[in-house]
Amino acid sequence: MAKQQTEVRDLQEGSYVMIEDTPCVINAYSTAKPGKHGSAKARVEGKGVFDSKKRNFTQPVDAKVWVPIIDRKQGQVINVDGNDMQVMDLETYETITMRVPDGVDPSSNDEIEYLEYEGQRKIV
Amino acid sequence: MFPGALADRDDADYVLLGAPLDVSTSFQPGTRFGPDRVRTFSRTFDDFDHLTAAHFTELGVHDAGDLHAWDDAAEYLDFLGGTLADVRDDGALPLLLGGEHTVSIAGVRACAPATVVVLDAHLDLRREYDGNPLSHSTVVRHALDVAERAVIVGARTGSEAEWERAAADDVTVVPPEEAGEWAPDVEGPVYLSVDVDAADPAYAPGTGTMEPFGLTPREMHRIVRSLAPDCVGFDVVEVNDRDDGQAATLAGKLLRAFVFAHAAADA
Repeated sequence: MAKQQTEVRDLQEGSYVMIEDTPCVINAYSTAKPGKHGSAKARVEGKGVFDSKKRNFTQPVDAKVWVPIIDRKQGQVINVDGNDMQVMDLETYETITMRVPDGVDPSSNDEIEYLEYEGQRKIV
Repeated sequence: MFPGALADRDDADYVLLGAPLDVSTSFQPGTRFGPDRVRTFSRTFDDFDHLTAAHFTELGVHDAGDLHAWDDAAEYLDFLGGTLADVRDDGALPLLLGGEHTVSIAGVRACAPATVVVLDAHLDLRREYDGNPLSHSTVVRHALDVAERAVIVGARTGSEAEWERAAADDVTVVPPEEAGEWAPDVEGPVYLSVDVDAADPAYAPGTGTMEPFGLTPREMHRIVRSLAPDCVGFDVVEVNDRDDGQAATLAGKLLRAFVFAHAAADA
């Protein structure tokens, strides 16, 4: 299972959380006090790890949320073919094909670091 | 609920949020009752607006209730600003109901306008008041951290240092006697903040710091209506419960006028 459950109160800026079933990194976290009625709430603003789309939610601090377990991996570029490149995972030696992201100009033997979650990958 | 604010949050074009902050009011407190007071005294208004030939109930206004306020203003503004930014992200226009004027800082931060127009008796350009940098009398100074320009309409009092700050290029002061003729020539997008004490205290005595020689409701109505089409956010603040409803009535009517004029321009 590539995610685990936690409470909203345990989240913090910079950590990951699932928002709308999408893994996001938290870039703003603020809490509202409850007064005598209601419950303390937290507003969490995140950005999709893989799609960079802004998402947010506001929930009681004791609500349960999912935190994605995102792997940080090392790889070596084997071959670049147009918009695609073959990368060898340096731990498992498995070879995977990745799309070359905008602004990256890889060549063979380059070592890269990437995030992986359920088949989605992003070079960091 | 604000009368006529029947839209669901997901379908709303306007989202009204009460922010009953009442921590730095320096004279007569009571802005914590402001949002409910405005809702109450807006009950008598007709749904139909003959100036725009529109029904308020058909303009997609949602009342999100109040964001309960606590005494840490910085923390409160942080949460409030985020909540208002969510409204913007959803494609709706935030309508903020104060609360003391400090809440406008959150509105301005959420909307990131080029120009802030404030209807106010006071310049609100202080760096701090009683050692508090998040006092209701520092709002325009904070707004200028975000916006390039501030226009303060109806201002008639301030400290010597505030008047000196007001003389800088990024601030325009429209005194009450010129407000009737003032033709807004502002660069959009605009955030419009109405401090009800801009009105003469004869019209709106239910406010924290009354200042004589103010605007007439009719002048405020004209200015709100003419600016509305360029606005990305709106608030009306500083209404308290220390009158017979005059301040709340004026605030509620101006809020509705804003929505009617904005929606008509959008149509």
